[in-house]
Amino acid sequence: EWYCFCVLILIGIDEPSSTFRRKTIFTHLKCFRALCCKGPPPPRPEYDLVCIGLTGSGKTSLLSQLCSESPENIVSTTGFSIKAVPFQNAILNVKELGGADNIRKYWSRYYQGSQGVIFVLDSASSEDDLETARNELHSALQHPQLCTLPFLILANHQDKPAARSVQEIKKYFELEPLARGKRWILKPCSLDDMEAVKDSFSLLINLLEERDFEPSRM
Amino acid sequence: MKHFLRMFIQVCLYFYCKCLWRCLKFVVRKLTGRCELQRICYNTKPGAARTMKIEASLKGSKSKRLQTSVSVHPDAIEKTIDDIMELKKINPDINPQLGVSLQACLLQIVGYRNLIVEVEKLRREPYDSENLQHEEMLLKLWKCLKPNSPLKARISKQWCEIGFQGDDPKTDFRGMGLLGLYNLVYFAEWDTEVAQQVLSDSLHPKYSQFSKVEWEKKKFDKAIGYSFAIVGINVTDLAYNLLVSGALKTHFYNVAPEAPTLTHFQQTFCYLMHEFHKFWIEEDPLDIMEFNRVREKFHKRILKQLQNPEMALCPHFAASESLINM
Repeated sequence: EWYCFCVLILIGIDEPSSTFRRKTIFTHLKCFRALCCKGPPPPRPEYDLVCIGLTGSGKTSLLSQLCSESPENIVSTTGFSIKAVPFQNAILNVKELGGADNIRKYWSRYYQGSQGVIFVLDSASSEDDLETARNELHSALQHPQLCTLPFLILANHQDKPAARSVQEIKKYFELEPLARGKRWILKPCSLDDMEAVKDSFSLLINLLEERDFEPSRM
Repeated sequence: MKHFLRMFIQVCLYFYCKCLWRCLKFVVRKLTGRCELQRICYNTKPGAARTMKIEASLKGSKSKRLQTSVSVHPDAIEKTIDDIMELKKINPDINPQLGVSLQACLLQIVGYRNLIVEVEKLRREPYDSENLQHEEMLLKLWKCLKPNSPLKARISKQWCEIGFQGDDPKTDFRGMGLLGLYNLVYFAEWDTEVAQQVLSDSLHPKYSQFSKVEWEKKKFDKAIGYSFAIVGINVTDLAYNLLVSGALKTHFYNVAPEAPTLTHFQQTFCYLMHEFHKFWIEEDPLDIMEFNRVREKFHKRILKQLQNPEMALCPHFAASESLINM
């Protein structure tokens, strides 16, 4: 059994192109598993989220890096895109919306059906931009389709020297009074520490799972 | 059962690739008296099909000299061809055309690789507002696209009129760096009419379809069309991916009889911009929010076109075009 497994891995490694190689190894593993009657792993729960924030805050880069894609050639997002971000205990289907001035008015069109919100902001942006971000966050928190959902607020770009701390952001955004009674998480993050980002997302997934159980509690 | 069959096929393919194929090549060489390279040059007419087959043959060769010949310096090509002919025991006096054909193919192969390196270098260079050259290029972009409307300030909301997201275009060049700016300027400078037409359409493509009242209501809603500059940078991203993945080999090997250069890449960009614009109008999406869906569909269409080895996306290059000095 192990001998077959090794031969299969060797064949997979021998392929010249790396994407083909990955696919080959994956196919072999699946075949091997099926052959040994282990069956596919149990499906993970899926949640639909919406990811918003101003342009340049880092939404696309964060989501790409969570999907193990390189954030090197990310261009400005225009319009919206959907990404399935896999975690150990859940899969998040994230609708990521571009943050340019001319398309923010279309954000509300994509709120329906969301189970959670990710708001990304640039901690090192100018005063004007931070004010705009604050207004957008407040609108989202008060929007009828989002007001009951858990929010994950990521203060991105913490690696920049001009980045404001989480305490400053919490104060400036008036989160304590405004988001009272709602479930929200505010975490600092930056692209060079993806472990911290994954931890923040795990907290969000916990909130989402809680929500799942709520109706049955009654 | 399906899994087992798939595995079995892959094991067979593996053995074929490793052993049988070489035996087959040996047998055919003995039968026809010609090595694989000769067979390709005699049986395929000049173009992408021939160059790609030569490239595959060289890369898959068991001789290290042949394997490394695809990545030599352009100046060393002649010597490489001589080495190959010697290795394969081909007499250049009996087969004079072979050397010429091989040289042409190798020039294109090596040129494509060098183009990837050049394009990558440009992409990695970030836009720098302190650099006078970069600033001049940005202002040139404005002048070419909007010759009758002077720019009031370097940082102003006017940039949104040509499709940038904010009042400083610098932030929009992330990801593609200077490559994005170079392509946009090339398009605006050398294909000015088309560029200005695309810009004008992008601001109000559905003008003819609305009644006057509806139009007045929608006219100031800039998202009705798409943002010219941002779409341009996205199309640069598309072209860059096509280049790096090797999909553009079909096109370049067909239209550039010598080594492909940056100018060829920029001309391909102009073609892709124009085609994308026509495609956008054909697709008639609701508004810019559908951009990614339309872009993916366009990408798939171009990839399909490029799979045909006879394909040349825009066959309008002169044989020897000197690099435009930016």
